[in-house]
Amino acid sequence: MATRPATSAHRPPVNRDVPLVRREPLEGAYVLLTFRHPEVAERARAGQFVMIKAGTVTDPILRRPFSIMSVDPREGVFTLFLKAVGPGSRALAELRPGEESGCLGPLGQPFTAPPEDHEALCVAGGYGIAPFVLFSDELRRARRRARVFYGGRAVAELQLRAPFAALEPPLACATDDGSFGHHGVVTGAVAAYLDTRPGPVTLYACGPDAMLHAVARLAEERRLPAQVSLDPWMGCGLGTCLGCVVWIRRENETRAKYRCACTEGPVFDAREVVWA
Amino acid sequence: MRLAVQIGGLRLKNPLLAASGTFGYGVEYEGILDLSLLGGIVSKGLYLDARDGCAVPRIVETPSGLLNAIGLQGIGIRAFVKDVLPRLARYDTAVVVNVCGDTVEEYAEVARIADAPGVAALEVNISCPNVKKGGMAFGGDPRMTHEVVSAVRKATRLPVIPKLSPNVTDVTVFARACEEAGADALSCINTLLGLVVDVERRVPRLAFGTGGLSGPAIRPIAVRMAWQAARAVRIPVIGVGGITCAEDALQFLIAGCRAVQVGTANFVDPGIYARILEGLEAYLRRHRLESIDDVVGSLRFPEGEAPAEPRP
Repeated sequence: MATRPATSAHRPPVNRDVPLVRREPLEGAYVLLTFRHPEVAERARAGQFVMIKAGTVTDPILRRPFSIMSVDPREGVFTLFLKAVGPGSRALAELRPGEESGCLGPLGQPFTAPPEDHEALCVAGGYGIAPFVLFSDELRRARRRARVFYGGRAVAELQLRAPFAALEPPLACATDDGSFGHHGVVTGAVAAYLDTRPGPVTLYACGPDAMLHAVARLAEERRLPAQVSLDPWMGCGLGTCLGCVVWIRRENETRAKYRCACTEGPVFDAREVVWA
Repeated sequence: MRLAVQIGGLRLKNPLLAASGTFGYGVEYEGILDLSLLGGIVSKGLYLDARDGCAVPRIVETPSGLLNAIGLQGIGIRAFVKDVLPRLARYDTAVVVNVCGDTVEEYAEVARIADAPGVAALEVNISCPNVKKGGMAFGGDPRMTHEVVSAVRKATRLPVIPKLSPNVTDVTVFARACEEAGADALSCINTLLGLVVDVERRVPRLAFGTGGLSGPAIRPIAVRMAWQAARAVRIPVIGVGGITCAEDALQFLIAGCRAVQVGTANFVDPGIYARILEGLEAYLRRHRLESIDDVVGSLRFPEGEAPAEPRP
């Protein structure tokens, strides 16, 4: 079979209509949306995602994939961090509390924790920061050290800093225009940190393709393990539309294969990705 | 109230099937919905061997539709029979294998291997627009259509259901060619050939160039073509194209289809079968009908007779 079962205890994702519980607009086109979905709240792990669409209109027709930013199992809710960029995300961003959306999740392969003696270096670009809220929570509970790098073109794009307020060491920001934090690309800040010889680290990355590729190159140069969360165009989330395939060559394979990012990813070992 | 329907030699517990290419091999939906809810599952298109399919991007959204060029990425018929069929055996649903080939001989060989315990029927893919050989190359020429369907007919005892292409001038010519070649039923329609242009880069949005359009955008065309085909032949027609709810399914049934397939909507909501079945039952109750068969072909033209031979 072309697909592997989801790892969340091999339990299949759950499809349900989810009411919006809370809507917290941030600056610009960014918003936090909290939905009631007990199974996602209970089982989701960092790096997993949901497929969700506002309402039942057929234009746009497909649900959209969003990383799960955080969960509250007691309340049975999960939260998404999204930027309204197109008609699908805009319709979601405009939902009112109580309105329902079709939602399937949790989906995909999560990030896996680093070895005990490793520090996790999380590298986020733009709205790729979302899964690292949940991940830093998981790492804290697993008593792993974590450092989160958050990059964007300008400070206005770094809208999800609050959830990391208690993080120690503090969130390391980078902006292309120098308006906040490190002046330059986020991978530059990561490289600078690696130059301080911090001991064993594992890299984790979520963000635009160019940033993911840069993290993969950095990992290769410095011989570091790295997990990247890919974000190709996705149609169904279940490995049936075959729209989100990426070239992946597993360690023991001689030839790369088209694999679904939705079921076999979105998180992959950076060494297994055949970069375009 | 009876939802069961008979498609030639194929008995379906209800008239809803999952369309090829939109439901994987069925097992992907295990645990997400009860597969025994479905009248049947049509597999992703299968050749003799596994295939990589087209380069990405493979899918682009259009108004109420989806343009795809997947190019029949698949695991091959042998892996399907060995690994997937045993897993589907525990569900009370008809398994239909979608048969593909680069050549007439390959279609026949795939059909022979697909004629395995647990397979209820074969759908013959002569209409995929996204492959260079086979697919529409066969379904766009009535003589080739006849040849492929005859070859599959000879290779199997199972009901044979060619899937027709809408990318032809007169679908009834192809419907009759299939009937003459021994088909037991027809699936109408596959996707419509389409093109979406990236205006900034001035290239097609899909790597393959053109693609097949599906979804609610094509539904009126699909209903019209299924209606035409159903009038042209004596064998049953299975309607497919843009179904998202019970009302959409009923349009095909009333237009003369004995069953329907749900396609693109599978990507959107895996809960769709329960909803459509509920809607069909509610419709039968409301109209005081005993059986879904009472709906089939009940289309009336109040203003007089329908045109004898509608011309495109």
